Amino acid sequence: MTEYLVRRVLQAVLVLFLITVVSFGLMHAAPGGPLKVMLSPGMSPEAQLIQMKNMGLDQPVYIQYMKWVGNLLQGDLGHTFKNNVPVGDILWPTVWNTFVLMSVAWGLSMLIAIPWGIYNSTKQYGLSDQIASIVAYLGFAMPTFWFGIMLQQFFAMQLNLLPLSDMYTMGKEGQVSDLILHLILPVTVLTLVNIAAYVKYTRASMLEVLEQDYIRTARAKGMKERRVIFRHALRNALIPVVTIIGLDLPTLVAGAALTESVFNWPGMGRLFVEMAVAREYSVLMSITLLISLMVIIGNLLADLIYALVDPRVQLGRKGGRAA
Amino acid sequence: MKKGKGWLKPLALLSLTGALLVGCSSGNNASSGTPAPTQKPVEQVAPQATSTDDEKPVDGGTFTHSTTSDIVTINPIFGNDTASGDVMEYTQAYLYNRNPSFDLAVYPWSLAAELPKVSEDGLTYTIKMKNNAKWSDGTPITADDLIFTINAIKTPETGSPEITKYDKVKEMKKLDDYTVEIKLTQLYAPFAFGLMQKLAPAHVLKDVPFKELQAHSYGKDPAKTPTSGPFKWSEWKQKEFHVLDANPDYWGEKKPHIQKVVYKIYADQNTQVQALMKGDVDLVDSIPVTQLEAVKAKGTINISTEPGPSYEYFAFNFDKKNFPNNYGLFEGQKTRQAIAHAINRQGIIDNILKGTGKIMDAPFLPGTWADPGDAAVHYEYSAEKAKQLLKEDGWVAGSDGILAKDGNRFSFEFIFNSGNSRREQAAVVIQQNLKEIGIEAKPKALDFSALVDQYANPGKFQVLLLGWQLSDPDPDGISTFGKKAFPPGNNAGWYDNPKLDALWEKAVSTVKQEERAAIYKEVGKEISTNLPYVFMYQYGTPRGMTSRVKYKDEFKPVSMIPYGETFGFLNWWIDDTKK
Repeated sequence: MTEYLVRRVLQAVLVLFLITVVSFGLMHAAPGGPLKVMLSPGMSPEAQLIQMKNMGLDQPVYIQYMKWVGNLLQGDLGHTFKNNVPVGDILWPTVWNTFVLMSVAWGLSMLIAIPWGIYNSTKQYGLSDQIASIVAYLGFAMPTFWFGIMLQQFFAMQLNLLPLSDMYTMGKEGQVSDLILHLILPVTVLTLVNIAAYVKYTRASMLEVLEQDYIRTARAKGMKERRVIFRHALRNALIPVVTIIGLDLPTLVAGAALTESVFNWPGMGRLFVEMAVAREYSVLMSITLLISLMVIIGNLLADLIYALVDPRVQLGRKGGRAA
Repeated sequence: MKKGKGWLKPLALLSLTGALLVGCSSGNNASSGTPAPTQKPVEQVAPQATSTDDEKPVDGGTFTHSTTSDIVTINPIFGNDTASGDVMEYTQAYLYNRNPSFDLAVYPWSLAAELPKVSEDGLTYTIKMKNNAKWSDGTPITADDLIFTINAIKTPETGSPEITKYDKVKEMKKLDDYTVEIKLTQLYAPFAFGLMQKLAPAHVLKDVPFKELQAHSYGKDPAKTPTSGPFKWSEWKQKEFHVLDANPDYWGEKKPHIQKVVYKIYADQNTQVQALMKGDVDLVDSIPVTQLEAVKAKGTINISTEPGPSYEYFAFNFDKKNFPNNYGLFEGQKTRQAIAHAINRQGIIDNILKGTGKIMDAPFLPGTWADPGDAAVHYEYSAEKAKQLLKEDGWVAGSDGILAKDGNRFSFEFIFNSGNSRREQAAVVIQQNLKEIGIEAKPKALDFSALVDQYANPGKFQVLLLGWQLSDPDPDGISTFGKKAFPPGNNAGWYDNPKLDALWEKAVSTVKQEERAAIYKEVGKEISTNLPYVFMYQYGTPRGMTSRVKYKDEFKPVSMIPYGETFGFLNWWIDDTKK
């Protein structure tokens, strides 16, 4: 197990390194650049050159990259070009805001979708199953921003029950009750989308397992249906579901740009879009790195959870395979 | 890029500003600097003045100004983007303000005591400042602040985006604590408008090396940023909001009625407009035209559709290398005039801009002192005239219905930035209009930075459809139309007209504003006859304000000047009684 973990971590470091090289290179290859985006074009070429030097943009890309890595290793994420603010000052608050929103939506989706999917697999084509299908179609087909706007129109504008946007009401920063009110609409949007996927996966996975011989055997032995479902079927059926959910883990910090924009949630999705337009390389690299890290951790966690839900999966034995 | 306006700032970048006032003669009254321009009333849609004479201003209340981008800094040496400018309007005082006709003016809230005195030769400016102004930390605002600010901006190491404003300053002398004499290297009338300057505090920054000014916390940390204006900068939550509180020790004679301003940032324009309708915010300065009807229907929002200080243009490329067989399609003046006749500009304004626009015939803001008015040639929409002119220029319809001359088809590509829905729609109209007269114009939308980087800056395109923002009050246009602004300068279409260049030069070396105006009349006539561009229209986005905000008519928001929406803000008040 330890050996397995060590190997995975080493792999992760290598992958992260490659990701930074590629994304750094791509970013600098894209047309535009921070100077072009922000300077007034009336500036003389000499003055622009001085600015390039101040920003370190006059150096070859590989030098810039090495400097960036050097700073990163010392825990310095860099500064924005535009106003020389430390990247961390901008990044960490938005990471937290996004995490609050996404983790509530993510947790809620699982709490609803997994039991619902299980239930539907036992009552195939029943009323609940039909409803789930409709929800799934809606969730997949409906543009999230549109759904968000509709909710705003109805609950915030017409009924005036809930706040239109933002994370807190001005002057009530930090109040949990205020936060909860602001969470309701965006979480509804995100949860609907997640549920659509999770219910379908859970149900399909359960149905597949329920066809298996060992389930029939269990039933033939006269085991209670409840025990068949939860003891025998569920643990196997959850494996693919865990994979899907694990892969969604990065969205906990990556956020959902559209939903965040519509609800004016001060999160990462929004930040990323805005920073991409401004060509703020340092911020973009930090976000890329963070999300890559989450992808790797998500995968690793999914693998580890396999071992928990499925005793047949043994990590680390004989150079064990990483799923 | 805010508000989706044109790329570079406009006209006159290099130079900035203009004209002046000059007249030293008019220099002693404390109001507006120059001969009152004949400002034509611009049609306003809903907004009646929102107060009647018997209503009395009340003190107190919070005003929420909304935006779609956060500030960079409120250090006047660096902040020149719209959001920073918005927050500085409340927090930082100008040496000279702009009046609604975009001219230099002294108000009770200006740091200057009177308009600048200009020497006969136009080389020396004497600036007298008020002697009672103070930073919010109590330090007096003096000649030192003015000299420091201009010095920092004009030094290249500083990296100020405003550097070109002061590149003609030779020396500055402090005559006394409140008087500064500035000498220029050459006669340059636009310099005066550069004095519409907000100051940076010398007592905070004077020991910081110029190179490190940008990294300094002044302008970025509210606790370390004493301000010169009526409001203090109390709080900044990045990407979310700013809180500005009225400074109880504000030096100005005129104190604000409104006690708190919240500058709130939205990621999405639709949400921003919803917030306006819900009453979460009081001011939205760009309502998407698609939502205009809904906002009007709400009934509690005052809407103005007066266009802003920006105009749209359709720029021809005069470099033959950009065309097949090196055959420049736009060589003929009559051909360019024909295109101007063919495009239904008013139709685009009415149907796509929903009225938030006004036809322009020359690159001067309508209603300002330099506006050549009727001296500029107006091309009314007429396919007949267009066809006639094309015929005179030798174009004949080919077998496919497209005009041709010397074996070259009249077919070209015009590029613009994607993501601007109004421009995208206008492109379709232009394509259709030109097709009617036998010209094949193919619209092509490109990512903005790719467009600037790979097409506009190198001057490689056939036609460019884009906008300029006329944020500088001086009308000088040599940096947009002059030969010395060839790519990578702003003259992206390689337009070369020596007669115009001479006129532009003459205008900036003339001090008296009336004389300058006469020269710009000639410029207007020449440029609208010769047509480096089809000047399309002055445009803007509708602005909405909740009706709880009250003001007398003379202090109403002004669309045509930058930051004009809060012109006269100190005289506004909030009335929540009949919300």
